[in-house]
Amino acid sequence: MLIGIDVGGTCTDAVLLRKDKVLAKAKVPTGEDLLGSLMKALDKIMEGVQPAEIKRVVFSTTIITNLIAEKKYEKVAVMIIPGPGISHEKYNFKTETVIVDGAVDYRGREIIKLNEQEIKEKLFLLEQKGYHKLAVVGKFSNRNNLHENQIETLVRGLYPDWQVVLGHRVGGKLNLPRRVVNAYYTCATQEKYSKFINSVEEALIKRGIGADAYILKADGGTLPLRASEKVPVETIFSGPAASTLGVQALVPPGQTAVVVDIGGTTTDLALILSGEPLLSSKGVQVDELLTQVRGLSVRSIPVGGDTAVELSEGRILITGKRKGFPYCQGGPCPTPTDALRVLNLIDLGDRDLAVKGISTLGLNCSPQKAAEQIIDEVVKIIVTEIQRMFLEWEQEPAYRIWELLQKRSVRPDIVAGVGGGAIGLVEHIARELNCKKLLPAHAEVANAIGAAVARPTVQLSLRADTERQVFTVEETGYQGKLNNTKFSEKDALDLANEWLNRQAKSLGVLCEIGEVEIIRQEVFNMVRGWHTTGRIFDVVLQTKRGILQYVEQGGSK
Amino acid sequence: MKTLKTGLVFFPAFDWSISPTHPEREERLLYTRDQLFEEGIMDLPEIEEFAPRLALKKDVARVHFCVPQVDYQVLKAHLIAAGASILLGEKVYRKEIKNGFALVRPPGHHAMRVVHGNRGFCNINNEAIVVEYLRHHYGIKKIAIIDTDVHHGDGTQDIFYHDPDVLYISFHQDGRTIFPGTGFIPELGGPTAFARTLNIPLPLGTTDEELHFILDQLILPVVQEFKPDFIINSAGQDNHYTDPLGSICMTARGYASLNEKLKPDLAVLEGGYAIETALPYVNMAIILAMAGQDYSYVQEPQPPQIRKSTKRFNEIKEIVTQLKDIWRNKDKINLNQIFGSEEYFQRKKSIYYDTDGFHEEQVERVKRCKECPGYITIDSKAVHSWRDSVKVFCITLPITACSSCQNEAYENYSDARNNRRYDYVYIQDKVKDVFISYNRKTKQELYLED
Repeated sequence: MLIGIDVGGTCTDAVLLRKDKVLAKAKVPTGEDLLGSLMKALDKIMEGVQPAEIKRVVFSTTIITNLIAEKKYEKVAVMIIPGPGISHEKYNFKTETVIVDGAVDYRGREIIKLNEQEIKEKLFLLEQKGYHKLAVVGKFSNRNNLHENQIETLVRGLYPDWQVVLGHRVGGKLNLPRRVVNAYYTCATQEKYSKFINSVEEALIKRGIGADAYILKADGGTLPLRASEKVPVETIFSGPAASTLGVQALVPPGQTAVVVDIGGTTTDLALILSGEPLLSSKGVQVDELLTQVRGLSVRSIPVGGDTAVELSEGRILITGKRKGFPYCQGGPCPTPTDALRVLNLIDLGDRDLAVKGISTLGLNCSPQKAAEQIIDEVVKIIVTEIQRMFLEWEQEPAYRIWELLQKRSVRPDIVAGVGGGAIGLVEHIARELNCKKLLPAHAEVANAIGAAVARPTVQLSLRADTERQVFTVEETGYQGKLNNTKFSEKDALDLANEWLNRQAKSLGVLCEIGEVEIIRQEVFNMVRGWHTTGRIFDVVLQTKRGILQYVEQGGSK
Repeated sequence: MKTLKTGLVFFPAFDWSISPTHPEREERLLYTRDQLFEEGIMDLPEIEEFAPRLALKKDVARVHFCVPQVDYQVLKAHLIAAGASILLGEKVYRKEIKNGFALVRPPGHHAMRVVHGNRGFCNINNEAIVVEYLRHHYGIKKIAIIDTDVHHGDGTQDIFYHDPDVLYISFHQDGRTIFPGTGFIPELGGPTAFARTLNIPLPLGTTDEELHFILDQLILPVVQEFKPDFIINSAGQDNHYTDPLGSICMTARGYASLNEKLKPDLAVLEGGYAIETALPYVNMAIILAMAGQDYSYVQEPQPPQIRKSTKRFNEIKEIVTQLKDIWRNKDKINLNQIFGSEEYFQRKKSIYYDTDGFHEEQVERVKRCKECPGYITIDSKAVHSWRDSVKVFCITLPITACSSCQNEAYENYSDARNNRRYDYVYIQDKVKDVFISYNRKTKQELYLED
């Protein structure tokens, strides 16, 4: 049996799955004490179930999101080794930022050495200012981590109690500013996150659950609880990922669907393209800072059931702001929920109040007509945004001819509605987009279902440079020697496979990885004069993404 | 008002090359990608990245006579490079972006009007395709193209040699020491577009300082006086001091400040083959300059060895003086003395296709019309050592052609169709945006539709 628990901002949802059936589901309010809510939900679905029957527990949580949003962490300083390039004035990480000399180039060659004296002086100044958490990131440190390691050694010697996070270990992709943000947030949240993990583990033990426990990442993959300690920021936005995977488990395989999650204040949109959730091409943005964290492409628009509706120059205006409950539930102004109530599309609150609320707008027509107009407006906003998402996906840059040529227009087959307001709106949205509508059963706990069925994902990006006889692994920041002058494309693939397995083993998911796909496999020659003097191999492997299983519609305890 | 961004299309075409060891190969923009991505350039709020689109065959035919057909000379890679340039040019013209840089491969400035094959790594001329696209779709009139590649942009010069509305200025290493061996001061444009072509041959070792002297004293004042509606930088980066094919000593920052002063609406990547030591730095510096950003932190790992030379500087001053005189007196000069007084100006050209290894012999005739820039005919023969020669006759009507030139051009077309000398006959009618080719062997006439 599988358990999925989504600790959201308002509600904590939990489900218990046996094969493709939902055996039990629970929804409890999320309190101040996250762990408490989590236990309460867990206990509800565990009624009458032997703990030993549980094979796997997966959490999605807002803890890191909240830590960052509320800035509940000690201050972190950032030390960057940017070398030549864009102006250092451009670096704005909303925290103490120190720049030191030194440079590595795109092939990982050291071009300017570090200046130890300068670093010592700057560390001293940071200590004076009360810092003891430090993120150290060099430009191209993913190609050569020498400088970052040297600085770490220096800090360890001078300030052994400091917490230091190195860029190459938390963000191996090209993009220094985003790597800095990854390192910064990792440093900021690691301590508190570890405490959370500890208490979750403790709670599971208390309930006698010895099953493997995982946490859901922003990209919809899972990480074993312990392994996630190294990269807590990867768990940010696991909520929207959970809801997308949940819908994926509830819609027919292979279809292209838009997930429309209509909440009180916002509507979240996600795309499932031919059965696979769409990843955002770049990293996600956290509190206005751009990260390297891979996330599902999710868009939040400020329209929900509780959005205040006003009249502006004789026209309906969806304000995008929440002023309180809908009128039908005693709120201050009319909302889309009131419109749905007037049209009897939902059964919530007092219909007479809803009618009264809509009438306060002062439109020159019946409340019925006015309600229809409101729904039309809301649908228009959501549909426009959905179309824009598809368009943006189509227009994402491509760097290879075949990539560009294979791009084609894709439009959704299904609009899947989740969330409180979905029932009344999804039909209209689907009609506008000319697709089928789907209101999956168990949609109210789709998040938890998503968590329960999420697969572990392991990706491995290997870059080997035969001229320099070195290779680097993007995901771990590992840097090794090739010692093989005849290193071939096949060798590169084998090495990448070996490292993927090693990575899966260290994450504790070796037995679950299954099929491995080649995402990219490229060779670039290095030519001096008219002779090839070396090659750069670029290989990216990935375990099959997606979900463990689909979930049957209907039939729950 | 919303501040407009600098638009970028980065299309390295990692799956296209001329051959594995050719300078124009897959990894040419690999290190540029690494540098741009690592710097987070695409995340800057001042910059917006776009996916390229493909140019249409018609966009190509508006400029080139591809023998026998567009499909034969043009791969998808070419259509993407040209399409990316069009996309950005159009966005600038519509004021959706401030300016644009098409960082694309393959390059194009050696591609001439008639295309029998690949020359200097080029098949079709990206900049010329943008110019004709903007003229046709938006009626844009005056355009300046500043060619900053170390090689003379003989293709661009050829295409606009008789076009009074296009100012073509090229600085490049002196043609006596480098491909394609052209681009000397006396090449000033034909009788209908005299001094709209200006060539600045640079002595070996020319430095940033000297180049900026040329820019400040000659290029910028001329551009300012010409008052173009659109400025294109044909941005070759092989004037860099580390380039393996050139011997000029420009730096990344020298290139950046050139763009800062020139303020091109569109820059299109041309050559530049120091793929590790120059391209990452030069490309980034140009992007920063175009986006109005500080580029003073951009620095190549190995500093240039600058050798001052009074002799060289004097030589450069002399070139500048000479060209300034020509520009100042362009309307007073008696053109009949230079071009003769015939109604049709005629010149013979012998063109070498270095990449494909064959010759083309051309006779070009320009109608010296008082009403319009006049139509042009080209009698061209490609002489292959390994297969039969191909003979073609091409007629081009400028977008502003007068009705009598239009009539004459079509008369020429039907005469040529009946002339057994030619394998193919073409007419490029930019007035009507109609492009027709005639295959004499099959007697088929083809109107290019898309």
